[in-house]
Amino acid sequence: MPDTFFGWVGFLLDKYGIMFLQGAATTMLIAVVGTLIGFMIGLVIGIVRTVPLDENSSLIKKIVLKIVRAILIAYIEFFRGTPMIVQAMVIYYGAMQYLSWDMSPTFAAIFIISINTGAYLAEVVRGGIISVDKGQTEAAHSIGMTHWQTMTSVVLPQAIRNIMPALGNEFVINIKDSSVLNVISVTELFFISKSAAGTYMKYFEVFAITCAIYFVLTFAVTRILLAFEKKMDGPSNYDMYSLEETEGIGHV
Amino acid sequence: MKKITVLLLVIVLAVSAIGLTSCSGGSSAGEFRVGLECNYAPFNWTQTEESDLTVPIDGGGGYADGYDVQIAQKIADGLGKKLVIVKTEWDGLIPAVNSGKIDAVIAGMSPTAERKESVDFSDVYYVSELVIVVRKDGAFASAASLSDFAGAKITAQLNTFHYTVIDQIQGVEIQTAMDTFPAMIVALQSGKIDGYISELPSAISAAASNPDLTYVKFAEGSGFETSPDDVAVSVAVKKGYADLSKINEILAGISADDRIAMMSDAVARQPVNE
Repeated sequence: MPDTFFGWVGFLLDKYGIMFLQGAATTMLIAVVGTLIGFMIGLVIGIVRTVPLDENSSLIKKIVLKIVRAILIAYIEFFRGTPMIVQAMVIYYGAMQYLSWDMSPTFAAIFIISINTGAYLAEVVRGGIISVDKGQTEAAHSIGMTHWQTMTSVVLPQAIRNIMPALGNEFVINIKDSSVLNVISVTELFFISKSAAGTYMKYFEVFAITCAIYFVLTFAVTRILLAFEKKMDGPSNYDMYSLEETEGIGHV
Repeated sequence: MKKITVLLLVIVLAVSAIGLTSCSGGSSAGEFRVGLECNYAPFNWTQTEESDLTVPIDGGGGYADGYDVQIAQKIADGLGKKLVIVKTEWDGLIPAVNSGKIDAVIAGMSPTAERKESVDFSDVYYVSELVIVVRKDGAFASAASLSDFAGAKITAQLNTFHYTVIDQIQGVEIQTAMDTFPAMIVALQSGKIDGYISELPSAISAAASNPDLTYVKFAEGSGFETSPDDVAVSVAVKKGYADLSKINEILAGISADDRIAMMSDAVARQPVNE
């Protein structure tokens, strides 16, 4: 058995190296899929919440919209207001016991992260839509676009560009928060680390390795997203007045 | 932008499809699903190498072995089903068996009165005694009775009856319960606590794998007062489980000598003894 810290790190990487990598792969899978699906949910909710209601709308449309908005607000408040670890326990065990729905841990993990992320991103998307100049919507309406066309062709592209930093943030948060799903036996990185630490009684060494792996994952993702943002901006000759450079001096 | 959107959507759908197909959850009738912590040597532990006696952990993460795993294997063989080991947190074991995710809990769990309100227990498959694990170079290494532990910082695992017996030590400084045995070993080694309550086989394991630890065994009468149910371990199943009588039959077929032999084999086999 090794004596030094680095001796132990080498020993653990030798024994558990493959399993750490598998755990990291599972972490990334559930984080990526969960964030993407959550983003889709957030987009839909954001669009629905910003549907314009004016005096000319029919009564039925007003009532339906009000009910739908109430349901969405309840969903957002509940899933933002309870910890993901508690949501995981309730959904995983509750589904089996009361709905006889036996989910595999990985599917449950993706499901939980998606609806949790959806709740957060709904508000982020709504903020992004509000931040797009009202003139854009007015101009789109004045040339006869419907709400859906306005959203998808004019407002959302700008809104999504504006909220890219927040999306990246949420993605990185999900990579780290996927660790709480170890309580429902998802074999992601933290679960594997607990196994290794438990078998050899070496908490510090194992979790130092885990820490390093999480950092590499989140750092790589942040850099990739930053590069994607730059690409989304396109050549700077075509900067609109409402967009600023993310680095350096903002110019009008 | 449109192309990227379409591409993203395709990726999402593809990956979701992969993810969703992994929801193959659903125990088939020919499986005997057993929940364990895989973190409580020598009753159950995780190791990376396969051997004749190990069982792969469901969902990946290594192989399980230990006294509990061997008992589970005997029960599964007796029921004519395939053994599937589901690694679960201690606090998640009873919810898992009650919701049907696993068929039985064979994890060194004692059939206490509180637990009997939520689950049914089989006959006892191991009887043990309570000891206290301490540092070899600590003040309590040569303690012999409970009164010698006055002023010691003692703890035990969360949600076990071990924690309830700490009060029997006069003058003890009881610490907050900890969630796993490895956590307590690390706390003991670093000096955060002076000792933790353990069952004898687990204390033997801990001392074997950590040469700086030892355990204090108490002579008849000077140890903890416990009821027989509390120091024994049984298989926990959902209330009304159909095969409970069969499990008891199989357990009855394992003699006391067999059990002692199986336990010492497990202690000898655990990973840190390499």
